[in-house]
Amino acid sequence: MFDSVKSTIEGLACQRYIASEEIATTVYLALKMEKPILVEGPAGVGKTELGKCIAGALNMDLIRLQCYEGLDESKALYEWEYAKQLLYTQILKDKLSAIMKHEDTMAKAVERLSREDDVFFSNKFLLPRPILKAISGKNRSVLLIDEIDKSDSEFEAFLLEVLSDFQVTIPEIGTIQADVKPLVFLTSNNAREMSDALKRRCLHLYINYPTRELEERIVSLKVPECGGKLRSEIVQAVHKIRELQLKKEPSISETLDWARALVILGIDDLTRDTAIETLNLILKYEKDIELAKQNAANIFLH
Amino acid sequence: METVTGGSAIQDKLYEFMDVLRYAGVSISTDEVLSMFNAMPHISLMEKTVFRQALKTTLVKDYTDIPVFERCFDEFFCGGEDAQVDIANAFRDMASRDTLRERTGLNREETDALEEAFARFIDSLPEELLFERSPEELLNLFLDELEQAESSGGGMGQMLFNVRSQYRQAAGSGAPGSDEEYNRRLSELMNAITARAGKRLSSEKIGSRISTREDYLLHKPIYKITPEEIREMRELIKRFGQKLKNRISLRKRRVKHGHIDIKRTLRTSLQYGGVPFKIFRKDRKMDRPQLVVMCDVSGSVNQYSRFMLLLTYTLQSLFSKVRTFAFISNIVEITPLFMEMDPERALGSIFEDTNFTYGWGSNYGRTFDQFIKDYSDSLTSKTTVLILGDGRNNHQNPGMESFIRIKDRSRNLFWLNPDRKHLWNWNDSIAYLYQEHCDEMKEVNNFLDLSEFIDKLFLDL
Repeated sequence: MFDSVKSTIEGLACQRYIASEEIATTVYLALKMEKPILVEGPAGVGKTELGKCIAGALNMDLIRLQCYEGLDESKALYEWEYAKQLLYTQILKDKLSAIMKHEDTMAKAVERLSREDDVFFSNKFLLPRPILKAISGKNRSVLLIDEIDKSDSEFEAFLLEVLSDFQVTIPEIGTIQADVKPLVFLTSNNAREMSDALKRRCLHLYINYPTRELEERIVSLKVPECGGKLRSEIVQAVHKIRELQLKKEPSISETLDWARALVILGIDDLTRDTAIETLNLILKYEKDIELAKQNAANIFLH
Repeated sequence: METVTGGSAIQDKLYEFMDVLRYAGVSISTDEVLSMFNAMPHISLMEKTVFRQALKTTLVKDYTDIPVFERCFDEFFCGGEDAQVDIANAFRDMASRDTLRERTGLNREETDALEEAFARFIDSLPEELLFERSPEELLNLFLDELEQAESSGGGMGQMLFNVRSQYRQAAGSGAPGSDEEYNRRLSELMNAITARAGKRLSSEKIGSRISTREDYLLHKPIYKITPEEIREMRELIKRFGQKLKNRISLRKRRVKHGHIDIKRTLRTSLQYGGVPFKIFRKDRKMDRPQLVVMCDVSGSVNQYSRFMLLLTYTLQSLFSKVRTFAFISNIVEITPLFMEMDPERALGSIFEDTNFTYGWGSNYGRTFDQFIKDYSDSLTSKTTVLILGDGRNNHQNPGMESFIRIKDRSRNLFWLNPDRKHLWNWNDSIAYLYQEHCDEMKEVNNFLDLSEFIDKLFLDL
């Protein structure tokens, strides 16, 4: 468990995740206050990665739930194993009739049977899906609900109970309360707005593109073979490119790709010509590349 | 934390900051207030970034509000360069409340009541007054009102009366010159209240100044917007457009009941031995409208068209298909520009290599004829057509026949007109002619009109 904002930064650094003070503060508070975190921000800034690294740093299990349109509670919360229930009923047929043998009326037989039906709606036949797994686990885990914006708004409603009370209600069994509250980590790419009810229950974290200094540290960590001079040239160029009016801005992963590619090409100084030739590694639209080329004199200083 | 006077002072300061945020238009619920106070014990108030983030992460849940939060925080907590000292100072200011009590000899409840009355008084004042008058003037207004209440026997007045007589009593039993003593203490009371009023005002001002500025821009007639304001406006459109989009998408998602969800129905039927007792339905896919936008880009309405296009493309994902056309007297499809470029850059490049003119001035008739001839494939029974223009046809053929065909072949036809309504049939404007065949012709003056129109468009569908 982290015991300060600083140790959160250090702990994440050990997982090769460089967190800004802002990110660390929110993570630290979420752990202390036992509140879920809702992370938003442009694609490719390391939202999902953060969730994974927290789990790694705290040595907790990571339970991941990828959201998609049509995801429902039977895929996310729990499901009854109908096949198994049917199979057991078949196998236990003899046993059942043995129990029922001594009842002479229908009503009594039903009553007798209903005393046993708990057997078929017990934990044995319950198939826990990610959320129930995270709630009922013995150890504290990280529940990563990825791309929540892709799910339907009904699904959000299911989540509310989990997010505020850390419990799941199963009609046949009752309410299952978490012994140890998991750290719930929701990510969203803003494909749609989350409801206020959900937001109220979460701490909010907006991860934007990192500062130059931070991004240089990320590059040096992930692509150590990239020299200091090349590194700062790459990051500087990417930051200038992000200022242009682009259809799709280059994300951190694209910066890393670029750095890796330049290292493989054996380049240790980013000249304007090499930069222009390799622009397609970071820009994905023809017009964006064109625009960057037009502004090459401002972006690439050499 | 030795620089801070005490727990309640911090609390007051934080409440005050939340007021600032609320005045600036950030909505904060009780849940958020609670979680903010729960977060405070875990962090050190003296680490600025951490403190800022703790407030942000607990209070601001809409990322479009983040820039507003940053500005409020900067103005509220850091006037000078050394932020840590600033926070400490801001907290220490709260002590002036104690000074007030000390100096006037009022007890705690009385000071509280007085302050509350004053706060209420300030709340009740119209905004213009609040901005124009100095705190001293406001205080005088307040005291005038108290005096009136006093003569009519109101509670507050009674209290002030008690205070005054207390002074006199205390002074009377003492040495001569008691009037001087009384006046001195009263003026001290004034000073302390003025200081308090000044603070209260400034916190209100930070928040409302930001939202007033935005309101001002949103309401300002578009043709009056200066080039400097346009840049500011773009930021605002992005933010405002995003909010509008979020609101609309949330609303439309609630539409339910489409085809049968076979997977789910079958799975549930297993519970009943394969008999589909419960039928589940899929959510109906959001019926997203197709949009055709025709914008007059001639000098007189150019600015409107730009804002319209910017807003349209901010909201693009709400429509299943958007096709945009620009015209003066020659119509050109500009959709491809927006496909491959950021909307703002696309707007900039519209005039680069396209020729919108054929002859002189706007020619709506020719434009509509041309549209029917070349682009009528864009019209379907699901298409909503939006025309933005002033209908000033320079005394040329109105092209009524083509216009009616556009109307017949589309679902709705709306016309946004930047001209004042009384000018619609004036001089060379033939807006009234067109209006007859539109579902609606609406006067738009400012950005708010534009966005309200779009919002309504989705309500009607």
